[in-house]
Amino acid sequence: MMKNLLAAECLKIRRKGIWFLTFLGPFGVVALQMVNYGVRKDYLLQQSEDDWGYYLQNISTFTPFALILGIVILTSFMASIENETNAWKQLVALPVSKLEVYLSKYTVLTFLLLISTCLLTVFTLAYGVFLDLGEIPYVELWKNSFYPFVAALPVLGLQLWISCVSQNQGLPITIGVIGVILSFMAYSLPDWLIWKWPSLINQWDEPLINVGLGLGVGVILYIAGTVDFIRRDVK
Amino acid sequence: MEYIVETKKLTKRFGKEYAVADLEMKIPRGEIYGFLGPNGAGKTTTIRMLLGLMKPTAGSVQVFGKDLRKDRINILNKVGSLVENPSYYPHLTANENLEALRKIYGVPKTRIAEVLEIVRLSDVGNKKVKGFSLGMKQRLGIAASLLNSPELLILDEPTNGLDPSGIIEIRNLIKRLPKEYGMTILISSHLLSEIDQIATTVGIVSKGKMIFQDSIETMRLYSKQKLVLKVNDSEKAWRSLIAKGIKAELEEGIISLFEQSDKGVAMAVRSLVQDGYSIYRVEEEKRSLEDTFLQMTAEEKVL
Repeated sequence: MMKNLLAAECLKIRRKGIWFLTFLGPFGVVALQMVNYGVRKDYLLQQSEDDWGYYLQNISTFTPFALILGIVILTSFMASIENETNAWKQLVALPVSKLEVYLSKYTVLTFLLLISTCLLTVFTLAYGVFLDLGEIPYVELWKNSFYPFVAALPVLGLQLWISCVSQNQGLPITIGVIGVILSFMAYSLPDWLIWKWPSLINQWDEPLINVGLGLGVGVILYIAGTVDFIRRDVK
Repeated sequence: MEYIVETKKLTKRFGKEYAVADLEMKIPRGEIYGFLGPNGAGKTTTIRMLLGLMKPTAGSVQVFGKDLRKDRINILNKVGSLVENPSYYPHLTANENLEALRKIYGVPKTRIAEVLEIVRLSDVGNKKVKGFSLGMKQRLGIAASLLNSPELLILDEPTNGLDPSGIIEIRNLIKRLPKEYGMTILISSHLLSEIDQIATTVGIVSKGKMIFQDSIETMRLYSKQKLVLKVNDSEKAWRSLIAKGIKAELEEGIISLFEQSDKGVAMAVRSLVQDGYSIYRVEEEKRSLEDTFLQMTAEEKVL
């Protein structure tokens, strides 16, 4: 049943520009560094002995912001597909459980974000090779893309929850915009705010804490969203 | 009798308001059940509970003899529905819209062409639904509800917003379904004339309560016709009729006859003529179902 639902979801996101956004996000992040390095490559290479490390650090300045913005846009698109003509009532009146309906949305979103994350890795690698920064630190490269993704799962859980249960899409968008703004000033935020986590910054200087928290709280928010979605009447 | 849908003390409360209260709905197999009621009477809320979109505050719903709470997915596999305004994905074509639902039902692909043919949308299957007229969207909604060849079809105000020819088309389609496919149909409307023409069983709901539920014939009995006579001296004429053993009633100077056979009417008229009364009018007055319906729902309002 899940397979059928996922196939239907993939059909529904056609022509919404969702695939394009999935590509645009990671491309944008790397493109900013193309401009950065294109303009002042020599200066930037002087800044650190570890050219790859410094380059990855530059990339990661914008990753959390792009990730959170991407999550906000994708979830609101996903929900708008059903909200536009209140297709929820048609979808839920099908022989499917509400749990599966919510899970299928979540799965498709996670899948799209995973594609973005993979693309980010590929683009980062490609431009890094182009810059000829020396020996490629594959593990660091991988961490640089995938750690923020896992740390951002709570934001995904929260945004999907709000978008799916609120009649007025103003609420999820408002919270989303606030989240994006917060992600900009991650450095000065308290550690417990979920919007800080994708930046991988914390007082212990240990990125894995953010990743662990992201996974744990992400799962909790996903379950809370499912329970609330099942409990509510479809208007 | 075998009931496809049976609700027991079905109740839904929103805050302090009871949208549906102790509703007992019984839909026999193979019938077209007309679910009537003024706007806001609780029709859509009831239908939402039948489909499991809303959870009842109290009471139970049985469909195909199974409890909806326990067997929801099995039941919905054999139910098609169109609730209120049609839902669709405007950025997709008619074919893609149906395909998204077909994938979930797991019925063969050929079914899409079949249902589009039934609602006569075959030639616009590849057009985006965004550009459809309301009538076409409504028909697409009906096509979607037929996709899984349901045993029970639930249509909430299916002719809303359609032009007369569209209404007739949908009506003919609905009439055909029970005979050709053995479906049982629940159709809701606030227009009695609509239900009058297609339903075989009627349920009337007002303020969340079922105030009438029986066959359409029984309902028609409530709207019996009368024969009224206008004569010059009605009081005397009425007395002379009564004296001859002809049952009649006098109301505001108009005599109405209970006897309705041709013979009986002829006899009454002849006797009046012979007694020298001038007869101005002999009219048949049909109390329409509309009046009956209004009266039924108005009585509720007084309470």
